[in-house]
Amino acid sequence: MTQPASRNGLLYAAPAAALLLLLFLPAVVRGDYYLHVLVGILFFAYMASAWNIVCGYTGQLSLGHSALCGIGGYISTLLLINLGLSPWLGMLVGGVCATIVGILIGYPCFRLRGPYFTLTTIAFAEILRIWAENTEEILGIELRGAQGISVPLKGHHPLFFQFEGKVAYFYVILAMLLMVLAVTFWMERSRMGFYLKAIRADQDAAEALGINSTRYLLSAMALSSFLTALGGSFYAQYFRYINPERNMGLDLSIEFALMGIVGGQGTVLGPVLGAFLLTPAGEISRATLGGRFPGLHLAIYGLVLVLAVMFLPKGLIQPIRQCLRRPPAGEAGTGTPEARSAAS
Amino acid sequence: MALLEVQAIGKTFGGLQAVKDLSFTVEPGEILGIIGPNGAGKTTAFNMIAGFFPPDSGSIRFKGEDITGRRPWDISHRKIARTFQLSKPFGDLSVLENAMVGGFHHQGGRGAARRKAEEMLAFVGMTPQAAVEANNLTATDRKRLELARCLATDPELLLLDEVVAGATPTEAGVMMELIRKVRAGGVTIIMVEHVMRVIMGLSDRVLVLHHGETIAVGAPQVVSKDPTVLKAYLGERHVQPGNS
Repeated sequence: MTQPASRNGLLYAAPAAALLLLLFLPAVVRGDYYLHVLVGILFFAYMASAWNIVCGYTGQLSLGHSALCGIGGYISTLLLINLGLSPWLGMLVGGVCATIVGILIGYPCFRLRGPYFTLTTIAFAEILRIWAENTEEILGIELRGAQGISVPLKGHHPLFFQFEGKVAYFYVILAMLLMVLAVTFWMERSRMGFYLKAIRADQDAAEALGINSTRYLLSAMALSSFLTALGGSFYAQYFRYINPERNMGLDLSIEFALMGIVGGQGTVLGPVLGAFLLTPAGEISRATLGGRFPGLHLAIYGLVLVLAVMFLPKGLIQPIRQCLRRPPAGEAGTGTPEARSAAS
Repeated sequence: MALLEVQAIGKTFGGLQAVKDLSFTVEPGEILGIIGPNGAGKTTAFNMIAGFFPPDSGSIRFKGEDITGRRPWDISHRKIARTFQLSKPFGDLSVLENAMVGGFHHQGGRGAARRKAEEMLAFVGMTPQAAVEANNLTATDRKRLELARCLATDPELLLLDEVVAGATPTEAGVMMELIRKVRAGGVTIIMVEHVMRVIMGLSDRVLVLHHGETIAVGAPQVVSKDPTVLKAYLGERHVQPGNS
């Protein structure tokens, strides 16, 4: 028991150190651009983690999460414009709506497996995007189609989710990221996490052990949808402008999924790692070569994905976890099973 | 009262009558062996009892309650557990985590599930392998793990589908000992098996299925000498009159 304890300590110490660094980063980082990139990284880390709750743990690849992101952004913005409701409350309303949509879409989709599931999620998300792009108004509420909507400026008004400068947004999205990680951490260790992993491995065997698979898959979908919509609201408030292409385009779904897969789906910190690697890579390629080669960042993502799937199918986090967990040579097998499995 | 009463259940797949008018009862504490040539309908019968598909006709009652057509998780919560002919471990989970999935069957948190899982791993003798990923187990160990996982749900009736298939004679002996221990703990067992030594050694009664129909039921020694049974297994020519 004693030896793995320090190893376990390291397992928690590394993320804690990274968090501490992040907390003080805005004091050091000068220049809005770099802060903007950091906010982008944290946003994608948040979204990939929210995606991971359903896709990582059930093993089904959803490329429809952009729709949930768009629902969060649109509903909080429309409530602000039409009813003057603060986006802090609006994002919760958006979250509830996305949860309902997530369950309605999940119910038929979870009867499908593999590529069929993925294609169906894409179809639902694209239907919503195309509808939004071609709808100028509905029930007297202006959507303005592909033109998009600007979030009305209120100046520095924290109660209305509007801040001077980018530092406050940085801390907001950091807090949201910590929340989604806490939720994932808790879920992974709970009955629900075990059941989802069992369903992922073998649905028949899981059901024979008393697991109502539909119920657990939809619970995960609901949780993931709610969190994704909160992120969507943040995205809208941060850019103060939304349109269907930007806030619910297929690109977004692909990025969430890619970061989750490359980082390590079905783990708490894998998607965060993926976002920290891929977002800057995309940003750099866009900043330096973007003008000449539009879409190059997508090619880079594709290449990284191919390499990751070939060499590290369980994600970049896998070798790191193994390094931290492997007992030193000669001691292998001496720990009690309890101690060894405690590290997992 | 019988623990399980199967009343005239039938199942057709396409044009194939997999199970036809099958009836039997199982008394509490009993081990009922089901044998029959390949395709006789043994696994289909299991699937209907365990809720994987509903019978086309007939009814299944457990502890007096009609459970016909209920879903697998519902059946499991009524304390019927099953193993699979091709074992289905949760491959990327450890042995302990596999058993914990069964342990979560009860109310109570992770700690309770873990204690139950550890207890069952000790029962089947897999404690040393608790941290091993289930993918890395041998075929027999997978079967033992499946048994532990089932037992963690505290079943009253256990359906075992060919748990010694592919085992060496020694491994089969170990598994037989385990099954005896499970029964001694008060669990009623129905087992489908091809290995005669196991079925004859363990069963209180044996039911023989052939083409989806019951052709004999009774004590193992009696059934094994039944001419209809011998005919089904060996063919007409090999059953000589007066051979029994």
